[in-house]
Amino acid sequence: MKFQIEDVTVYFPYDHIYPEQYCYMIELKRTLDAKGHCLLEMPTGTGKTIALLSLITSYCLSKPQSPMKLIYCTRTVHEMEKTLAELKILHNYQIKHLGPQARILAIGLSSRKNLCVNPTVVAAENRDSVDAGCRKLTASWVRALASENPDVAMCEFFENYEKAASAAVLPPGVYTLQELRAFGKEKGWCPYFLARHMVQFANVVVYSYQYLLDPKVAGIISKEMQKESVVVFDEAHNIDNVCIEALSVSVRRQTLEGATRNLSRISQEIDRFKATDASILRAEYNRLVEGLALRGNLPITDNWLSNPALPDDILKEAVPGNIRRAEHFLHVLRRLVQYLSGRLDTENVEKESPVGFVASLSSHAGIDQKTLKFCYDRLHSLMLTLEITDTDEFLHIQTICDFATLVGTYGRGFSIIIEPFDERMPHIPDPVLQLSCHDASLAIKPVFDRFQSVLITSGTLSPIDLYPRLLNFHPVVSRSFTMSLTRDCICPMVLTRGSDQLPVSTKFDMRSDPGVVRNYGKLLLEMVSVVPDGIVCFFVSYSYMDGIINTWNDSGILKEIMLHKLVFIETQDVVETTLALDNYRRACDSGRGAVFFSVARGKVAEGIDFDRHYGRLVIMIGVPFQYTLSKILLARLEYLRDTFQIKEGDFLTFDALRQAAQCVGRVIRSKADYGMMIFADKRYSRHDKRSKLPSWILSHLQDANLNLSTDMALHIAREFLKKMAQPYDKTGSSDKKTLLSQEELEKLGDGSMHEMSY
Amino acid sequence: MASTHVTKRAKYKTTIKDPGTPGTLRMTFEKILFVPHNPKSAGKLDVEFRYIKGQKHTKEGSNKPPWLNLTNNQNGSFIFEFENYSDLQECRDFVGKVLAKGGEVSEKPTVAYPDEQLSAAEMELRIKLLQEDSELQKLHKQFVLSGVLTETEFWATRKKLLDREASKKTKQRLGFKSAMISDIKPSTDGRTNKVTFNLTPEVILQIFAEKPAVHRAFLSYVPNKMSERTFWTKYFRAEYLHSTKNSIAAAAEAAEDEELAVFLKQDDILASEARKKIRRVDPTLDMEADEGDDYTHLPDHGILREGSKEMTESQNELYKRSLSQDINRHAAVVLEGRAVDVELEDTKAVAEALAQSKQKSSNKGESDGDTSRERLDRLSRMTEIEDLQGPNTLPLAPLCIKDPRDYFDSQQANALRSSGDALGEIKQIKCGLSTQEVYGSLRESISSIRAMGLKEPIVKPEVAHQVFDALTNSISNTKYHIGKNPQESVLDRLPRKTKEELLHHWTSILELLKHFWASYPITTTYLYVKVNRLKDAMSNIYPQLEVNVRKIKNGEVSSLNFPILPFLQLFCLIYLLYPSLIFLA
Repeated sequence: MKFQIEDVTVYFPYDHIYPEQYCYMIELKRTLDAKGHCLLEMPTGTGKTIALLSLITSYCLSKPQSPMKLIYCTRTVHEMEKTLAELKILHNYQIKHLGPQARILAIGLSSRKNLCVNPTVVAAENRDSVDAGCRKLTASWVRALASENPDVAMCEFFENYEKAASAAVLPPGVYTLQELRAFGKEKGWCPYFLARHMVQFANVVVYSYQYLLDPKVAGIISKEMQKESVVVFDEAHNIDNVCIEALSVSVRRQTLEGATRNLSRISQEIDRFKATDASILRAEYNRLVEGLALRGNLPITDNWLSNPALPDDILKEAVPGNIRRAEHFLHVLRRLVQYLSGRLDTENVEKESPVGFVASLSSHAGIDQKTLKFCYDRLHSLMLTLEITDTDEFLHIQTICDFATLVGTYGRGFSIIIEPFDERMPHIPDPVLQLSCHDASLAIKPVFDRFQSVLITSGTLSPIDLYPRLLNFHPVVSRSFTMSLTRDCICPMVLTRGSDQLPVSTKFDMRSDPGVVRNYGKLLLEMVSVVPDGIVCFFVSYSYMDGIINTWNDSGILKEIMLHKLVFIETQDVVETTLALDNYRRACDSGRGAVFFSVARGKVAEGIDFDRHYGRLVIMIGVPFQYTLSKILLARLEYLRDTFQIKEGDFLTFDALRQAAQCVGRVIRSKADYGMMIFADKRYSRHDKRSKLPSWILSHLQDANLNLSTDMALHIAREFLKKMAQPYDKTGSSDKKTLLSQEELEKLGDGSMHEMSY
Repeated sequence: MASTHVTKRAKYKTTIKDPGTPGTLRMTFEKILFVPHNPKSAGKLDVEFRYIKGQKHTKEGSNKPPWLNLTNNQNGSFIFEFENYSDLQECRDFVGKVLAKGGEVSEKPTVAYPDEQLSAAEMELRIKLLQEDSELQKLHKQFVLSGVLTETEFWATRKKLLDREASKKTKQRLGFKSAMISDIKPSTDGRTNKVTFNLTPEVILQIFAEKPAVHRAFLSYVPNKMSERTFWTKYFRAEYLHSTKNSIAAAAEAAEDEELAVFLKQDDILASEARKKIRRVDPTLDMEADEGDDYTHLPDHGILREGSKEMTESQNELYKRSLSQDINRHAAVVLEGRAVDVELEDTKAVAEALAQSKQKSSNKGESDGDTSRERLDRLSRMTEIEDLQGPNTLPLAPLCIKDPRDYFDSQQANALRSSGDALGEIKQIKCGLSTQEVYGSLRESISSIRAMGLKEPIVKPEVAHQVFDALTNSISNTKYHIGKNPQESVLDRLPRKTKEELLHHWTSILELLKHFWASYPITTTYLYVKVNRLKDAMSNIYPQLEVNVRKIKNGEVSSLNFPILPFLQLFCLIYLLYPSLIFLA
């Protein structure tokens, strides 16, 4: 269907539209008009992504002269694929109605690991090996060497791509990673470099958060994005954590040992060059004296991760004299590693500010702040000079330099914490020195400054006023939408008591009580026998999940569960979890039914949908609080209290409840879908906890369902499923429309739409 | 038939616990003769085969001695213990043969038809079918033996049955059980520290399927390097070490014993399979790809010991295997389904069959390249939001009714609910059709089939649905309308004997009618004779039916609206039409 929003004709690829999608688009359009930032919360299962894509692309189409471009950030690669698939549907629709002028180029961008088609390179185990393997074949000096010596291996895909030069372009269209690979294979061009090249011409770029937020990656990928671009952070409820992580580094024993090895390797290389070709080192020195920018016009294949500090904070001056010579720099690094390993030998937990740390570093090791700041760039330059291609071997020294640069650059918003062992396992000595960032606004600030419109959206952004404070920005639009439902297709329940009427909770003093564990098992057992198809069960942590599954296994509950459904479990091994998920879906498809055990805050809870028959019921066992004794968390809470006046308890509850909401929110995909959510912990019945849940869940949480025991929940589940199985009118009752066709939309003026949605 | 008798040395036992009397067992087609070696001991046996009803025997590979248990029709049994399994098998086959004959040949004079040449296999199949289905056997007895139908005619209408049995392919295969049976618990005798594990071929198959490394080890070690018993002892030793969760002890034991290490180590075949499979995974689930795109979590970047992250102990990773891994693996195997279709008797055979089927599936996996295509299609289907879309055509599954009586009975409740009072209307619609109209629509559909060929599905789903609704309603409604309770059918209220008789008449009439109508048009004298025969047979049944009806009428059921009515109507039809039909011929 197509319709007008003020002056923009919106092309929407479906015959019907939800009223909240329409309102969402109106708000988006206002944001774009105002050229500002916005914050929008809309429940899952209301087609956020397609509404967003179709408005922004239609907006671009209506203003063909503006260089506007959409940068769509997702948290994970599979979400990237999903987004691109939706965009493809939209794009086909627009082409059908507008013809060739609607053509756009949309690409997903990922690492070499996901894009490489060279069979020898991509066979490597992990990302860093793939990156290094690629560099070994494509680095400028390798290729220079290969032109003289035909025995030197090169990557044919990259060579073909280079040969094609400006002819190597992607025709307009929507390309998922898979299609990029297929295209590259067909043409014989390297898809990774092709995609990197096409980013500047693409109308829509979909990539991971880090490509914009993490200065290490953003520095090389997102440098050339226009100011007029619209940046979207989808599923952004965790954006503050991503920002913090991007600027945090930790140093362990293994890191230091590895770094020492790296340093001796570098010193060997330096000696080798001195013996064979000293002029190269001299040339580097001269370049540094002249203060030339380190990576002026590096070939695209040579650069790797960029400076970990934010672009605005990097000094535009020459490298200080004491580290210009390679040997001198090596000495500085040796002293730094020495100092750090001395600090790791501590018995007690130490907490320090970066300023204090730099001061003590300068007095003990004689390294001043300015030298620290340049560590990363100096290392980078040195490795290029030494023509090192196996960069995956040098990650440790890179980490040390990252650390040095960050600690030298930032005085506030960070702290350094040294712990001799993990609090949870005091018997295992495992010293860590962590530089942790507390201020999420630091990493995202350049994004807000650089781009005209930044949209932050998710299904759970409650309380919505907290995010602008955490991220320190001023949205022009900040709204939370509720969901208009045709029927009550979600059924949240709070279960406080087990089948024996005793309270259940994962509170610290109760979680290992055998009665509680048994009650949780009984709950699941009863539910598996009633609920069809897929059930997802979230636990508060891996260790708790492992413990409870072992107990269930010993007591035979697990066996009984297996009589009804197959069981799949998320583990910390990503490959295994992925396969388990794939099998879970097949089990649901085939009608056998399955249960998936997962962990709140885990990878599955982050981004896998359990819509339709893949999840008819979600059980959230416990409240997923963070480990509150963590030193880093305490330091962050302190910082939040001092800087933003956010109370510790409030933040912890907010954080736990957004995770819980995130977990249960994955069951609904559209209004035709239905699902139940059980919050199984007595603490959910307290108002201060519950009220932090997003409003779209709260509005369906009936008072009668606030304090249930297993048998009552079972009864409600039966009734609910019976009700949902009945046919219903999809468009909603006459007084409250939940599905609009084109005519209905045209009939409704803007005014009446608003009344409906508020 | 190879031999007309079998003679074996065996022990005769009156009960299972009886040590048995050694002697000679001789079996002929007619009788079983057992003569003890010691002529003084009691236990001489002379039984005629027609009293023997069935046989049971122990399986090879189980730890029981080779026993053959013959049951007679007074529920007594004769147990023979043989010296070895091959003797048992020979006797078992012989008894099987004789029993199969007893089911039919011995009770009737062998009817030989010169016009059909049946292979032994076909004959056996028919005998087996008759044995399995008592109803069929009754029919067969009634019509074929009395000469109403010939053997060929009888089976001609059941070709499908023969085909299906012959090819065996359509028979539903049993999958794995959902429960983890490979996780068996040992039993102890309570006195010593010895534990005993009971392994069945079923369990072994599952262990092999779930743990390819164990499977591979079995193929290469047994029986050359170690006996099967040692193999399993080692396996359970390793399992025990796992269950203690003491990875250091496991590592130590593994260092000492190379074969034990095979069981303790991570399964390398699984790992490589996982790597292969991950490429075929749905891209919207592929979390491994994220890993490859995640530059924040470079080693040592990001926050290590924040509350949200977990610590893992990474010592002796090699010898650690978690319960979750086992559970995931088990579920995956169950989902893949059973690839092996052999009699589960010999462990070796199981292992080899599994290896073969794996080979096949891996070849297949390499050859089909369109999985990625399929994956994309699935992805695009998944992304569409269903209720914003116009209605989609629903996928069809062909309806296959095996037992019409069961089907219509079970559907009755649904049909009543859905059509409700509309029942009467349907009937009216039917009556309203004139012959011309029916003829016209028939011609129309024939010509359309001629023009376009048969479509899939042949009948529109809506039409088919309507027809079935109407059928269910009219077919079994009497049964329910009379009964007060919808669960109880009228037939259940009749005396059991009457009910059975009725049902039997019903099936025999159906059988006869089938043949009757199939004989039209009567073009040969053979058919003419056959039709006459059938008519006579039917007229024989008619008085019996009437007797029943009278019985019922005298009894508690007085309603005229009774299931027999349709029979009577059918008969009337036949009698009315018969002269004209003959005339037509």
